[in-house]
Amino acid sequence: MIRDFATVLLATIAAVFVLAGPGAATPAREAPWLPEAAAYRLTLFLGNLEPVPWDEVATAWSEPYRGSEFTVGGLAWLGRESAVDTDRLEAAIAQQDRQAVFAEATRLIALRIEEELERAVTAQDPAAAQQAVRTGRELYRAFADGIAAADPEAARRIGIAWLELNSSTGFAGVLGAGATPSDTDTMMAARATISDYIAQNYLVEDFAPRQTLSTLPEIAALGDSNVEVPPALPPGSDIFDQDPLPLLVLNFEEQGIDETGLPLVAYGDMLFDSAQIFGGPARDLGIACSTCHNRSDVNQRLFIPGASHQPGAIDVDGAFFNPIFNDRRDDPIDIPSLRGLRFTGPYGRDGRFASLRDFTRNVIVNEFAGDEPTPFMLDALLAYMLEFDFLPNSMLTTDGRLTDAAPDAAWRGEVIFNTPFAGLGDRSCASCHIPDANFLDRQAYDIGSVTPAYAGARAGAMDTPTLLGTLYTAPYFHDGSLPTLGSVVDWFDETASLGLSEAERADLTAYLETVGAADAPYEAFDEENTAFRLAFSELTTFASTLDTLLPRRDAAHILLLTDTVAADLAADASTMANLAARPEIYALAERLVAVGAAVRDEDWAAAEESWSAFQSEARALEERAF
Amino acid sequence: MMMAGAGAVSLAAPLLAQGTALRIAFIPQENPEKLLGDIEAITGWLAAQIGVPVEGFVTIDHAAAVEALRNGDADISFMGALPFVLAESEIGAVPLLSEVYRGAPSYTGRIFVRRDSGIASLADLRGRDIAFADPISESGYLYPLAEFERAGLIDGPDGAGAFFGRIFFAGGYQQAMQAMAEGLVDAAGASQYADLLLTPDQQADVTWIAESEPIPSHLVIARPGLDADLQGRFVDAMMQLNEPENRDRLRYLYGPDGYVLADSSAYDGVREMARRYGLLR
Repeated sequence: MIRDFATVLLATIAAVFVLAGPGAATPAREAPWLPEAAAYRLTLFLGNLEPVPWDEVATAWSEPYRGSEFTVGGLAWLGRESAVDTDRLEAAIAQQDRQAVFAEATRLIALRIEEELERAVTAQDPAAAQQAVRTGRELYRAFADGIAAADPEAARRIGIAWLELNSSTGFAGVLGAGATPSDTDTMMAARATISDYIAQNYLVEDFAPRQTLSTLPEIAALGDSNVEVPPALPPGSDIFDQDPLPLLVLNFEEQGIDETGLPLVAYGDMLFDSAQIFGGPARDLGIACSTCHNRSDVNQRLFIPGASHQPGAIDVDGAFFNPIFNDRRDDPIDIPSLRGLRFTGPYGRDGRFASLRDFTRNVIVNEFAGDEPTPFMLDALLAYMLEFDFLPNSMLTTDGRLTDAAPDAAWRGEVIFNTPFAGLGDRSCASCHIPDANFLDRQAYDIGSVTPAYAGARAGAMDTPTLLGTLYTAPYFHDGSLPTLGSVVDWFDETASLGLSEAERADLTAYLETVGAADAPYEAFDEENTAFRLAFSELTTFASTLDTLLPRRDAAHILLLTDTVAADLAADASTMANLAARPEIYALAERLVAVGAAVRDEDWAAAEESWSAFQSEARALEERAF
Repeated sequence: MMMAGAGAVSLAAPLLAQGTALRIAFIPQENPEKLLGDIEAITGWLAAQIGVPVEGFVTIDHAAAVEALRNGDADISFMGALPFVLAESEIGAVPLLSEVYRGAPSYTGRIFVRRDSGIASLADLRGRDIAFADPISESGYLYPLAEFERAGLIDGPDGAGAFFGRIFFAGGYQQAMQAMAEGLVDAAGASQYADLLLTPDQQADVTWIAESEPIPSHLVIARPGLDADLQGRFVDAMMQLNEPENRDRLRYLYGPDGYVLADSSAYDGVREMARRYGLLR
């Protein structure tokens, strides 16, 4: 339910939409898309994948996009709201003709804008005219990033035309009070400004062939300039952190050691949150290690159309993030938790990397198109990630036995867990999920959970996952195909013919839920420990590594830090409860920008000075406990 | 959801006969479909609390909601402060509840500019372009404009045209703020919270140079002559939304932090403003 005043406050709790930001790891919430505009943006995004997921392109038009406020998809919506014909678009999708789909979908949105403009200028009353202007402008938003990138002057001209159009519709006032008449001449002129540009660039009969589908106007596509539209995630994407946020358990922290005294770890912590170490769209979209691995764990909500088959899963070797690494296989995997990482090697769902260092480099360079990381960066990332501990669980001893706090059903389930079954090759669950080895055995087995990709394939072996902390990491298996621990028990019971009774399955499930439990799985936010405070404390800790890097005159790693932390600090200010303090945070962020600028100029004295100013201002802010 | 005694919802005319139910008018800003879902959720809950069927319906704007109160199609409506004082004057509408945001039943309007614009005071906006939300918006026009008056830069709304370059009514806070952030205009007049509608990066690039006096918040109002007992039960139910176990339902109602009983005198400033601007006789 939306109205002007409330819209402002609702914005902070709105359903999730993702907007590209320049590299900050704090995604912006985006206003909802109209159904046909969403379908168009999705079509362009999916149409750039190799191979094109044509079923998803069709679904983009037939179903509401993920998280849509509308109950119908683009085609049904158009059937209700518009006279624009969709037959040619549907035919192009059915023929899987990429260029034709681009052309028809683009023309369709252009015609819809025209339709709403016509409604606006012919409306009988101001409220109807304003509604049409609003709808037209929301549709225009589907093209806006392309026009802004290719033709800023036109973007500005059209932006003002929309303002003129809305201002000249007239206003009905309330009970006649405050009523203002419409200004037809201004309306017609503003409409012409918009319509002319749309006609020349988006209502084109024969579009130039597109290598990449984008919202660029036709004049840019025809020209020889290499304008690129900044990468954007399509409607339905969700790269926000999981809510509730997983609790981070760091070994040193639990021992009372301050991270600022561990500069290599702190720098690695910063890199884990930095989109700057990646390249391609991940970097531009602010995607970092922590985007998928919230606080060392998982992100159950993460979803990117075309790359995720369900929330919490992603195909990191698809076409989107790094085309050169595209394996052309639609094989998204459920994001694994990194808790207890030093005990869970080998790495990758199939254990293909023995070395965490090699795995990490592969993530940066191949999966996310980053530059080759320096040895220092890899050392730092590993130093940090090797501090990830499992969640404390008072129902379990450190060697994997139940404590008195465990429920009776779990005790009964433990017996089943340790019982050998013929269907498991006379092994028990505990043979692989070894209780005193953190419930894993560092081996890979083909348990039949992977559908063979070709006849005779021997490619289904997956690394034994730990059971610790799993109560909070649903769904399960490499592809997230099983929604609950109970369904995992059922799966084994059926596929391995364990012959468990219903009561036994319930007991075994209770055991798994007990082993997978934690005393405090989530970060507990309250008025004292706010999300912003957590972010502020993290970011100032990251910055503390300047104490080490500045004396070393390590320009490259300083700039990576200042670029990351300054942008994140400013962006995180938008989450502050104390809105009045935001300018102070912006000023603090600028201190870090100044450190970076001085280092770029090799003015080390100025860099030291800005760093000192940052420290004293950050301390003062911290003490005021916002 | 459509069980006996539960809420009913429609986009068009009210379904239930007058006197047998409570009819509530809602005013949409964007997507009426989403509104219908929210209305269904809240009217169902209200019906259970009050003990009579509660019907919600969507009107096109404030004016239509006031019209519905006037002709008896609606018993209750959600309403901005300015439309309320007009409805009070014209049809005797009764204030029941005021919305609470961040601890207060009031908010302010501000004049926002880009931080790199070099604009530091209202006087710097002479000859420059500004976007407001809507000509009958309190925080998105009247109150911010009054700050120019207070600064001695304009005498009343009629003087605004001579002071500014161009004045736009962008259609809402979001549109006004975007126009300013994108550089289409030099300033925007909008609610104090309107910069939260910008992206985090844009938020860091904007600041505000003037703030209005407090504006009493939006309200829930009743038509005159509504059955006193029914009205009382409705108010009691709405006040229950302040209880911790019900707070999550507030998101169905424009998302305030809660409600307080309306204090009619708190709207004197709005009445005065409406008179000064020739909106109220």
